[in-house]
Amino acid sequence: MSLQLQSSYNNELDQWELTAKGEVDISTAPQLRKYLDGAYQEKKADILLLLDELNYIDSTGLGVIIGAFGRMQESENRIKLVNPRDNIKKLLSITSLDRILCSDC
Amino acid sequence: MTDILKFSIPGKPEYVGTVRLAISSLANCAGFDIEAVEDIKVAVSEACTNVVCHGKPNREECYEVDCEVGDGRITISVVDRAGGYDMANYQRPVLDCDCPKEGGLGLFIIKALMDEVDIFSEIGMGTSIKMVKYLSRI
Repeated sequence: MSLQLQSSYNNELDQWELTAKGEVDISTAPQLRKYLDGAYQEKKADILLLLDELNYIDSTGLGVIIGAFGRMQESENRIKLVNPRDNIKKLLSITSLDRILCSDC
Repeated sequence: MTDILKFSIPGKPEYVGTVRLAISSLANCAGFDIEAVEDIKVAVSEACTNVVCHGKPNREECYEVDCEVGDGRITISVVDRAGGYDMANYQRPVLDCDCPKEGGLGLFIIKALMDEVDIFSEIGMGTSIKMVKYLSRI
């Protein structure tokens, strides 16, 4: 029940690629917020959030992503979710967040 | 014939995951399929998160998760004494737009995933979120 985050900057595509493994809930959401904010402050660019190995996300985690989305919109950058698992796809669909956060999920 | 299980959990973020595991196991034993187990897990976790988020004045205080299993359904009540809130102020999150807002998602998700949801809140006292999921009849 922990969250592991890794980030790297892709110079060719000018975007952050951030991998999230484990679970995002009320106890780990602050970690995700700090990571997203840290990356974006270091370099303002699009963020790809790679979710292949993310087992669980709740409303606090989605809230963190929505917050980042809002802050990034000011400078016309995007945050995109890539390869969410079926349980996470269902939450994104229920909340209609798939329309703004996913291009292929 | 139903079985009743009661859990008492300190209102701290680190224990929400523990409740999630316990409820998943219970729903699985009760015969729910993988997708329904996931729905129940997410809904109960959201209800617990609600308590932990809104019960700030005294995080040490415990809240209760009461489960009733049997008769083709699972009923789970998450009950706190965290002071309650005014349900009239709850607004459905604005999601169908290009600028969704943080917050307000928890109750919305619970209602979407469970078959029946009743929320009682009394200001100065606490809140109870009662959720029911039925075993699908094949």
